[in-house]
Amino acid sequence: MMKISLTLNGKPVTVDVEPRTSLADLLRSPGCGCTSIHLGCEHGVCGACTILIDGRIARSCIALAVACDGAEVTTLEGLGEDELTTQLKDAFHCNHGLQCGFCTPGMLISAREVVARNPQLSEEELRTAMSGNICRCTGYTGIVAAVSAVAASRASSCTSES
Amino acid sequence: MAQSNLALSAQPGAQAYADAGDDAARFGPRGIGARLLRNEDARFLAGHGEYLADLNLYGTMEVAFFRSPIAHGRIRSIEIPEEVRSRVFLLSDLGDVRPVRAVLNAPGFRGSDFPPLADGVVRFVGEPIAMCIAPTRAEAEDIAQQIFVDFEELPVVTDMLKAADGSAPSIHDGWPDNVCFVSTPGNGDMAQAERAAVVTIERDLHMHRQCVVSLEGRGVLAHHDRRLDELVVYSSTQQPHIIRTVLAPLIGVEENKLRVVAPDVGGGFGVKNNLQAEEIAIAALARIVDHPVRWIEDRREHLTASPQAREHHYRMKLHADAQGRILGLESEVIVDAGAYSIWPWSCAMEANMSAGIMPGPYRMDAYRGRGITVMSNKPPLGPYRGVGRPGACFALERMMDELARAVGREPHEVRIDNMVLPGQMPFLTIAGKLYDSGDFPESVRRAAEMVDVPGVRAQQKDNGKDGLYIGLGWASYTEQTAHGTNEWLSRNLTEVFGYEAATARFTPDGKLILEVAIQNHGQGLETTLAQVAATELGVDPADVVVRHGDTAVSPYGLGTFASRSMVMAGGAVGRAAQMLAEKVKRIGAHFLQTTADKVTLEDGAVVHGPRRVPLSEVARAAFRHAQDLPPGEEPGLSVTTTFQPESGTGAFSYATHAVVVCVDANTGLVKILDYVIVHDCGTIVNPMIVDGQIQGGLAQGIGNALLEESPYDETGQPLASTFLDYLLPGFTEVPSARISHIVSPSPFTRYGIKGMGEGGAIGAPAAIVNAVNDALHGLGVEINETPVTPRRILKAIERAAKGDRP
Amino acid sequence: MKPAPFDYVRPRDLGEAVAALSEFEWGARVLAGGQSLVPMLNLRLSPVLRLVDISGLEELRGVEEDPEGVTFGACVRHGEFEDGQVPDPARGMMHHVAGRIAYRAVRNRGTIGGSLSLADPSADWITVVMALGASFVIRGAAGERRVAGSDMFLGPYSTALGEHDILAAIRVPKLGRSARWGYYKIIRKAGEYPMTTASVVLDPDRGRSSVVLGTVNRGPLEMARMAAGMQGAGTWSAQLEGNLREAIRLDLETAGRDQDSCEMKLCETTLLRAAQSALVQ
Repeated sequence: MMKISLTLNGKPVTVDVEPRTSLADLLRSPGCGCTSIHLGCEHGVCGACTILIDGRIARSCIALAVACDGAEVTTLEGLGEDELTTQLKDAFHCNHGLQCGFCTPGMLISAREVVARNPQLSEEELRTAMSGNICRCTGYTGIVAAVSAVAASRASSCTSES
Repeated sequence: MAQSNLALSAQPGAQAYADAGDDAARFGPRGIGARLLRNEDARFLAGHGEYLADLNLYGTMEVAFFRSPIAHGRIRSIEIPEEVRSRVFLLSDLGDVRPVRAVLNAPGFRGSDFPPLADGVVRFVGEPIAMCIAPTRAEAEDIAQQIFVDFEELPVVTDMLKAADGSAPSIHDGWPDNVCFVSTPGNGDMAQAERAAVVTIERDLHMHRQCVVSLEGRGVLAHHDRRLDELVVYSSTQQPHIIRTVLAPLIGVEENKLRVVAPDVGGGFGVKNNLQAEEIAIAALARIVDHPVRWIEDRREHLTASPQAREHHYRMKLHADAQGRILGLESEVIVDAGAYSIWPWSCAMEANMSAGIMPGPYRMDAYRGRGITVMSNKPPLGPYRGVGRPGACFALERMMDELARAVGREPHEVRIDNMVLPGQMPFLTIAGKLYDSGDFPESVRRAAEMVDVPGVRAQQKDNGKDGLYIGLGWASYTEQTAHGTNEWLSRNLTEVFGYEAATARFTPDGKLILEVAIQNHGQGLETTLAQVAATELGVDPADVVVRHGDTAVSPYGLGTFASRSMVMAGGAVGRAAQMLAEKVKRIGAHFLQTTADKVTLEDGAVVHGPRRVPLSEVARAAFRHAQDLPPGEEPGLSVTTTFQPESGTGAFSYATHAVVVCVDANTGLVKILDYVIVHDCGTIVNPMIVDGQIQGGLAQGIGNALLEESPYDETGQPLASTFLDYLLPGFTEVPSARISHIVSPSPFTRYGIKGMGEGGAIGAPAAIVNAVNDALHGLGVEINETPVTPRRILKAIERAAKGDRP
Repeated sequence: MKPAPFDYVRPRDLGEAVAALSEFEWGARVLAGGQSLVPMLNLRLSPVLRLVDISGLEELRGVEEDPEGVTFGACVRHGEFEDGQVPDPARGMMHHVAGRIAYRAVRNRGTIGGSLSLADPSADWITVVMALGASFVIRGAAGERRVAGSDMFLGPYSTALGEHDILAAIRVPKLGRSARWGYYKIIRKAGEYPMTTASVVLDPDRGRSSVVLGTVNRGPLEMARMAAGMQGAGTWSAQLEGNLREAIRLDLETAGRDQDSCEMKLCETTLLRAAQSALVQ
């Protein structure tokens, strides 16, 4: 066991972990309780476990918890007050961007990063930017519509500001 | 004539009603037909969905299965280190547990047992042999890694054609060969068709094996509830009641001491629509340990040991006249059903379904079908979105394109000429299915208009420039949904899934709860069933609680599969809500000093002219102040009832898909340029959700057509065990389809609803492969298998260049 | 799908890291971004006794630029190339390639050194650094040594790195002002491992041209005849294309690759498209 400290959703956490424990398994454990993290493949392809490590999106299933000692970690649970996340949630709801809900938390976190990084993407660029997240239910149409809608609203607000 | 038209009182045919306003008039503004946003979204968007792995029961031990590393062998011995022996459970450690035997009640069906853990012999790589328990999954896997099994290896069967022709050794004791069942649907005079035929098209086609891939794998958690003295089995399943019924006797528990709960389920698509060996094993284990036990399927297990799908081989012969009018169809489908028969469907489901639906939307005078189910040393085949129909559609629709080519006509025109006409509805097909309503040809005409056939043909003049080839592909199909009692009986299933049940009840504050036996895992049923109730009771659907997926919360029912929930549970909710509405009206009318026939239910109140009694008042009287009820009225506001469709073969949705692709002959990659779907599922309960189902099914169909394949080597080892080998369609591979609806309500269901969950997946493989063939035809290429991978395309181009015909 | 237990150390410097590796005859592995290694651990593909986590070592995160080239610490992440946080000695090529590696979430953690050390033959970086004439700084028990690109990659998952060596830095020479480059890969879906990759670098100022092919299950291949055929090429033409096809055929033949016709086609297409993109840039 090794002792590590994280800032999890803004709060300091110190825990003992086995070196082999993934960040996803640590955060999903009852002590941390972040069950918005879903494990869809455990080899870094499906994106359902996507979270933020030090502000950047990452796959928590292939990040070892011990290697994240000292990191600032944010899951969907920690983005309840985040304005962009709230906009995306609304847009997913309005555009039928989810069905079974399993991919949804990872999808929201990736979408947040895509929109924040560049809201002026074409649909093709947006699809490529989101391609690290798999949805098996929706066929993506509703998600693309949702992310595009939020991006468009931000792009227009960017334009009006400049 | 084999065809016949039944005289029925209902008005069939396409009754395309003008707009949603009509629905609003008939069903209320927030009832059936409204594009309502989903009630269930909030918890998922908050990350609060509660899936099996999220359950947090004190003392839960995690289970790792030790699975067979070989495809076929007899177990000589199992070595387990002494220090972990108490944490390893073999079949012999589980006490009285019986194997499941999934059979058809049909002469000639060969049965076999599927034990929850290997019983001396293993028959596929991934077959469970032992359970290892530990506080964490990692530790449980550590234990599994210490187990050593000595096998006597047995001959491995992986080639379905050898399994079918009897040249491979049998994998089940006492069987002469590996053929499990042969069905022979059909009718009409084939000799006459052959004689009359000007054109006969013959082809072999192949749809390779694939995995289902729900994003959440399967999973089971079981524990003994001491207070209630019952065994509670949480399972990521689509059908909790049915699982309870079959599980109880296998593990020696009475049904009233067994509760099965499906928590939030992260996608099913059929793979969670079976009794699973792991369900039996985990439930059996929970009886003999004093703590909860849980197994969560990981992705490698899902890709290699879950029930898999497809793997059909077709031998087709289509007889037609000079215009391409079909005279007769001969079709043989061989299905590699893997090592075991899955309960309740049996291993013969795929072949039987495919052979039964084969004639599709077309009229023909003779059909001779043959569905052959063979066993092999691969994981068992189970249901996957479409069940049999994607294969049947692929085979027949490929033939239709080849027929059109042979008679020198546009493929869509040949389809139109062969289709059942709206005036012939209801129409009994040559394979014995009763098509309820619809305008099949209109779906083709409209799709042709939308996709702009002349425009695509003009674009194709540039084919070959830069090695790029554009092609247009078609697929039309019928989607049997909400199969009724007769259908299941005719399939000789041991279970008959011909009805569904619901309870509609108010709470004393006047709020509505619906309790249903289906399981909602993405279909939006927490919204659409509320819309049905809103239609009958005038309540706000956003305010309706829908409880499902738990044997303890609803009347007995059969589950979510076969595109049945909206028709069946929707019908049951509609009936229950209507019966409840009558009582509410009587009580409300009593308050309003009028009679029940003079009041309506609107906006949460009983209304009579300008006066209204809120439902909370009605409920208050019904539950708490019986003295305020009309004389003779019973207290309480709860109705439980069932629904079954009037037609035993269910309601038939249908659609035409038209797709334009661009094939890069230098890479073998296929890009979808345009995808059009003209679809009819009768009365639409929620257009947003219907389009979401179509698009989602399409994505899976695209996977089937282009990407997804689970190959096995000759020793039975799976070659796709991660998402690096098993490619799923992503954002860039799935275009947004342009969808148009025809609305032909079913005369056989409540509200005219037809099921529609599977259609997107049925049409896409055929349409896309047809488009690839259309693109590359000029090179002499013909490809008749899925998925059409770059390798298959490049190989086909190369063969064609050498002058080899397929 | 959880890893078997292993020992984990986080050394304070590179010397300690090498020492931590050397304590095991075999089975100690270097952890950088972990984007390939951790999936392999999760799958229990091969036994790993110890992980030596170098991701936090500042000395491996540095970037030094001089007039001749740039030396990248091995733990510079793909995302830093993508976002232009580090200089690009290859006139945009490294930026271009980095932005197309797997997915953003992977690029945020995966490192150039980790990717090159693993030497997955279908990964993006190998053909690029070889075509750019990069060299490698390797730290081992015996100290530091430099290895040229052509000597670094011995085959699929096989490099000049010994069991106790750590790739410390990648030295990439600067391209001349008139240099051109092309990169192409064939992928079945966005972000997936390519079936084939090709890097083309034409640097007339330094009198150098290089073409490197990457394919699944085989080591990277320097396409000498094709590179020669590209030298001095001005614009894309049918004649050039014909010449290159022949050069490709001969290069593959010389390499003795028993490729089937389908692989051949994919290789040829990838190489030609990389070459074409270099010329039409």
